[in-house]
Amino acid sequence: MANKLAIFWALVVLAVGVHQVQFWRSARLDTDVLALLPEDEQAPEVDAATRKLADDAGRQVVLLVGAQDWPSAQRAADEATRVLSGAADLLEPAMVDTSALDQAVDFYRPYRDRLLTPAQRQWLARATADELGGTALMKLYQPAGAQLTDWNADPLGLWQDWWQARAAETSARPRDGRMWLSGEGREWVLLMWKSKVSAFALGDGSRVTATVEQARAKVEATVPGGRLVAAGVPLYAEAAAAQASWEMSTIGFGSLAAVLILVWLTFRSLRPIVLVGLSLTLGCAVALSVTALVFERVHLLTLVFGSSLVGVAEDYGFHYFAARQGKAPSERGPVMRSLLPGMVLALVTSVVAYLALGVAPFPGLRQMAVFSAAGLTAAFLTVVCWFPSLDTGALPVTSFSERFSASITRWPRIASTKGWWLSGAVLTVLVAVGIWKLEPRDDLRQLQGAPANLIADQRELGRLLGLPSPAQFFLVQGDSDEQVLAREAALKTKLDALVAQKVFAGYRAVSDWLPSEAQQREDAALSARAEALAVAAVSASTGEAPTRAAFSPEPLTPSHFLSGPAAGAIRQQWLGTLGKARYSVLMLRGLNDPKVLPRLEEVAHGLEGIRWVDKTAEISGLLSRYRRIMGGLIVAGYIAVLLTLVARFGRQAWRAWVPSVLGTLLTLAIFGWAGAPLQLFTVLGLVLLLGMGVDYGIFLLEHPGDGSAWLAVALAGVSTLLSFGLLGLSATPALRSFGLAMLLGEVTIWILTPCFRLPPGKATH
Amino acid sequence: MKPFLVLMLSLLSVSAHAADLVKDVRARLVDAPLVRGQFEQKKTVAGFKKPLVSRGDFLLARDQGVLWNTRKPFASTLTLTRKSLSAEQGTGGAAYHLDSTKEPALAAVNELLFALLSGDVASLQKRFKVEGALVGAEGWKLELTPTDAGLARVFKHIHLEGDGYVRQVQLDETRGDSSVITFEQLAQTPPPDATEAERLGK
Repeated sequence: MANKLAIFWALVVLAVGVHQVQFWRSARLDTDVLALLPEDEQAPEVDAATRKLADDAGRQVVLLVGAQDWPSAQRAADEATRVLSGAADLLEPAMVDTSALDQAVDFYRPYRDRLLTPAQRQWLARATADELGGTALMKLYQPAGAQLTDWNADPLGLWQDWWQARAAETSARPRDGRMWLSGEGREWVLLMWKSKVSAFALGDGSRVTATVEQARAKVEATVPGGRLVAAGVPLYAEAAAAQASWEMSTIGFGSLAAVLILVWLTFRSLRPIVLVGLSLTLGCAVALSVTALVFERVHLLTLVFGSSLVGVAEDYGFHYFAARQGKAPSERGPVMRSLLPGMVLALVTSVVAYLALGVAPFPGLRQMAVFSAAGLTAAFLTVVCWFPSLDTGALPVTSFSERFSASITRWPRIASTKGWWLSGAVLTVLVAVGIWKLEPRDDLRQLQGAPANLIADQRELGRLLGLPSPAQFFLVQGDSDEQVLAREAALKTKLDALVAQKVFAGYRAVSDWLPSEAQQREDAALSARAEALAVAAVSASTGEAPTRAAFSPEPLTPSHFLSGPAAGAIRQQWLGTLGKARYSVLMLRGLNDPKVLPRLEEVAHGLEGIRWVDKTAEISGLLSRYRRIMGGLIVAGYIAVLLTLVARFGRQAWRAWVPSVLGTLLTLAIFGWAGAPLQLFTVLGLVLLLGMGVDYGIFLLEHPGDGSAWLAVALAGVSTLLSFGLLGLSATPALRSFGLAMLLGEVTIWILTPCFRLPPGKATH
Repeated sequence: MKPFLVLMLSLLSVSAHAADLVKDVRARLVDAPLVRGQFEQKKTVAGFKKPLVSRGDFLLARDQGVLWNTRKPFASTLTLTRKSLSAEQGTGGAAYHLDSTKEPALAAVNELLFALLSGDVASLQKRFKVEGALVGAEGWKLELTPTDAGLARVFKHIHLEGDGYVRQVQLDETRGDSSVITFEQLAQTPPPDATEAERLGK
């Protein structure tokens, strides 16, 4: 039976090995923070919109190079461009050049008469024949200026204004063959580059970031007062990758090394080190394979989190070796069998706790849950199936383990004395006050671990360029393209009033570039009437017979527009068909004050097919909701665990249960006293604590008075503490908070559990 | 190597020549902070058989801007300052105003018109290839070809002629239209009156 299991497990391990080779060859690793964000089950179109907006910018690096005056700014831009061009294998220029503008102008030319700005519509509708004629004459006789068309194709000079309105969507303007803007005391040149490589590659160094930093240094060194501001997903991804690989090696290897040193100290033998190492390696490998198979892609943070798994997964090996130490090799089988009930119970509580993390709809958390549950199970199976067969030699008791095993007898034990009651009362007051001081906080920032300088650059760039916000937008829904465009137009009318009040700077809408057919028809009629009057007036005044140029009889259709050269700027906002309906996104610029958001939300009320999306608020709301749900889950979990323990240990079950409850409460109290906020990730740490904290109690109850069980518990406690303590070093606030909760909880539970051990001579069964 | 050297030398001599020309033309121009006068503009526009002729007067104040008053065939005024371009019909009605601090393309046009009217050859040289010759004892002729891509989209060539003042500007547009503007009765006085000063102050 044992041999069959060992062979079965060997086959599984072999399959995992093959899968691992494939996995690392194709390296489907995710660094995108968005991948960690929850899916919105009620509104998949909101998700699609967010992802499309993010995808589009996925490889873009936007730079602003500035200096005190325009010639220095140009020089600075040249310096930066030279450095960036030097990394040709990494970056390519992605600038919209002037020929692209020419192409766009040519594309729109046949539809010129159908494209009017709101101001033009008003003017053309109320202008008298005299006014129209006068304007046409004035523009005709004016000294030469830049005209986009022949006079008869645009006698009132409307075309220029329409383009100017389109250009107003960004503050950058062409100047001397560059994109220029002025702001915050400097003149700036806008540079756009695109990363040619995907940024996830672990250990490949942050090459795009390095190149940008080189350019920054060059600009600052060669141009007095020169400055470079850069932003883009590749920079964030590289920062995340660098941070994750650092944390992975620190946390992963740090705790692995600590575990192995402990094993060496305790057993003074190579065999336990090799075997415990084996169970950990297999645990991680299986975890990775299972995660990759279930989710297709594995997120870098999963690996970081998973590396802390090491601290938990070796518990089974510890228990085996602690129990087997000093016994004859022939007793391996019986030792394992005596350990099994406790180990299975511990495994089940841990796995259930890990899987409970997956209840929250965060794909990142689900991955971590699956990763940890699979890894733990694999480490357990390795110990159970292989250790008795592989561990053949003798394993004498060392003096270190002997002294340690004996220490349990000196550990204080709770009893009904005055001292214990007094300390209990003091503790109760401290815990109550601490928990009362606890403040929840559920903002999105806990998910971001991006370096502060990147965030600062991003903000400055957004301010200067007037970039639209990707977190807040309007989603427009309709049964047809025409309806979407018409609804967008209705929304814009309401927004224009807010723009006029300077609530925000402006918006970017597909219908500005592609008016609805009805609007096009209206505008064509309006301009035809006005321009006919204008041409007639010019004809009368000059005595000649100029004719108005002809335009396309057909409207500009969405399909024609989207395949044309002018759609580049706006294509990402056209979502097309999702499910049964069609969608577009209207983005907002210059949204700097969160206080105005409710006013924008109000705009959507009463407009059919318009939905206000505030991703930031939505995620914060979700974090708060799941913090409360998980809180409830903890309470329910403790009740379930208590029932399980009672089933196994009867009236003594409380001895394994109370330390975990106390550990949880103390952790919360310490957070409260320290002023650290209570967030979803703190609560998640406590969920996990529920699963693992009772393990110690279980082992001590299973093997009362057994020094080896105490030795195993102590080893497990120290190693778990190390791994989660290291997680507390993570730069990602969520992971840090999670790690700290685990650390504090583990330490207190570890200290308290032996205090609740059975009195000598008593046994549960 | 040798042909390359010869080419380099010839290029050097051309630019040396151009620099001389610019210096000579500047020497012949009167350095006046204010110029007034009459103008006549003949504009050839696609769709019109005869050139469109307009007449009027203008005021160029070097530090403030240009006022361009068309009197015939109808009244309209154009005000060009460093900051804005605005136009207005004499009888009220049509009007428009552009702000050059928001539109650098307009700032460039402003700068160009300024340079053309005042014969600021040094500034023109930044955006044009300048060729030409001195004429007689006082005159000169310049042909400007845009080197700047933005300007090349608008103008094919610009011809300037003059003596102590710019006397004629001919603008050949890339789209095919062209204008010839001639200036007469040029003077450096009187200074801007109250209405003019107000318009230039905008």
